[in-house]
Amino acid sequence: MGEFFVSLLVTLVKIGVVLGVALGLGAYLTWVERKVAGHIQARLGPTVVGPFGLLQPLADGLKLMTKESIIPRGADVPVYYLAIMMAVAPSILLFSVIPFGPEFTVFGYPVKPIIADVNIAILIVFAMGSLAVYGTVFSGWASNSKYAFIGSLRKAAVIIAYEVVLGFAVLGVILLAGTMSTTGIVEAQIERGVWFVFYQPVAFILYLFCMLAESGRVPFDIQEAEAELVTGYNVEYGGMKFGALPMAEWYLNVMALSAIAVVLFLGGWSGPRILGPLSPYFWFLAKTFGLVFFVMWLHWTLPRFQAKDVTEIAWRIMLPLALLNVVVTATVVYFFGGS
Amino acid sequence: MGVKRVSRRDVLNVVETIFFIDFLKGLSVTLRNMLRKPITTEYPAEKLTPPKRFRGAHGHFVWDGSEPDSLKAIERYMSYEKGKSRCVACYMCQTACPMPTLFRIEAVQMPDGSKKVVRFDMNLLNCMFCGLCVDACPVGCLTMTDLYELAGYSRRDAVLRVERLEKQGIDFKSRRGDEPDRIWSDDAHREKLWGKIEWSG
Repeated sequence: MGEFFVSLLVTLVKIGVVLGVALGLGAYLTWVERKVAGHIQARLGPTVVGPFGLLQPLADGLKLMTKESIIPRGADVPVYYLAIMMAVAPSILLFSVIPFGPEFTVFGYPVKPIIADVNIAILIVFAMGSLAVYGTVFSGWASNSKYAFIGSLRKAAVIIAYEVVLGFAVLGVILLAGTMSTTGIVEAQIERGVWFVFYQPVAFILYLFCMLAESGRVPFDIQEAEAELVTGYNVEYGGMKFGALPMAEWYLNVMALSAIAVVLFLGGWSGPRILGPLSPYFWFLAKTFGLVFFVMWLHWTLPRFQAKDVTEIAWRIMLPLALLNVVVTATVVYFFGGS
Repeated sequence: MGVKRVSRRDVLNVVETIFFIDFLKGLSVTLRNMLRKPITTEYPAEKLTPPKRFRGAHGHFVWDGSEPDSLKAIERYMSYEKGKSRCVACYMCQTACPMPTLFRIEAVQMPDGSKKVVRFDMNLLNCMFCGLCVDACPVGCLTMTDLYELAGYSRRDAVLRVERLEKQGIDFKSRRGDEPDRIWSDDAHREKLWGKIEWSG
């Protein structure tokens, strides 16, 4: 019985830490993004609130929370509110299967820095990624606005495009590692001493494409499309409701998917022990935020694809490539034992 | 005239497409930009000094002894005061102005027969800062200063009366009077951008 309560306590502490860190970093990624965007355009970004504008996310949050809440006439109110939950919850749940480092012991109890070390973690990632789309689709449907509705229809078109490719891209890694557990995949890479990105470069690039499409980032941000759709599906939301949707999609989702890309392709927490016992966490966070930075960098470089182009590229180029990659990987693994 | 169609195949060859050369080129441009120093002027905290020929709010140069000898000839026909506007109410500025209602100039004849300018108002709400009035002024009185913060709390604030014009003229002369007349804020910067420009006659 004592064992159960200890594991419950440990899990609650882990949930608290991951939730706090993820939401805090999610808020501060807005600051990072504005700084990156500013400097790419030879501007400064936020500078006024606090040193280097570091208190800007707090000021933004305060401003959003004190805004008047307006619900458009003819909106489907329960679905309107449900959409926010449907957008935020799956993005946060993605963090539950991310291993931040190797197992360690506290007071004799072994603790894994992962909330749910399940053996179907990758399936959970796919499931949550697909669920997150309901937030977008519901918000567009419920807000009774043409722009929002077009945005959510476009998101529906995009998910048809990337979801299949995502599954086949990750299948190569699963074949190599022989497990669907995220911890197992990282350990498989550490055992071989090679990151899977060197075995599966095509799959890595396909995963990056799918990651950009799933998190609604440029060049696949057609459901937001500021220029055409006035930010698309979330146009009828106000106040913190408006803040929650991009935060879930642009920041939490990008962060979680980057972490999963690090787990799948970039060796998770592996790296030289330069910081003693903290170095696995350092390497994991460094790789993750390197990838997040890459996504932002891409965001402020590329133009946007058309909606039909996204589907066309996915089905005519990326899906055959992914299938070929899976077949070749499976053949190699079958005949050479995968190592 | 035929339309030349450029397909993606003509822009990038297969190898370039596979390795995302166009993406990488764009990414390198943005990365170089990101490492460059920002060019922002944080406006209310730091303000740029416009070049001397900047066409900002107007001003009147005053009768202070610095005027050329040719102007001294008309001194006896005007009832001038030291340190006041050297306007002669010739209406040249109003004639040159594309906007008929911008100027309101009035002058009276004094008992000794000299002319006195009693009113010189400019409604800057009508002004497009073309500078034609400055070119037209025959006595070198009307000028344009480098003041560009012209927002006010009422329409009345946008009307420049003669006192304010004199004040702005004196202020402009004291600050920038010794500078060479040029449209660049400084010659070093101009030469860096466009090279040395010399008299070509």
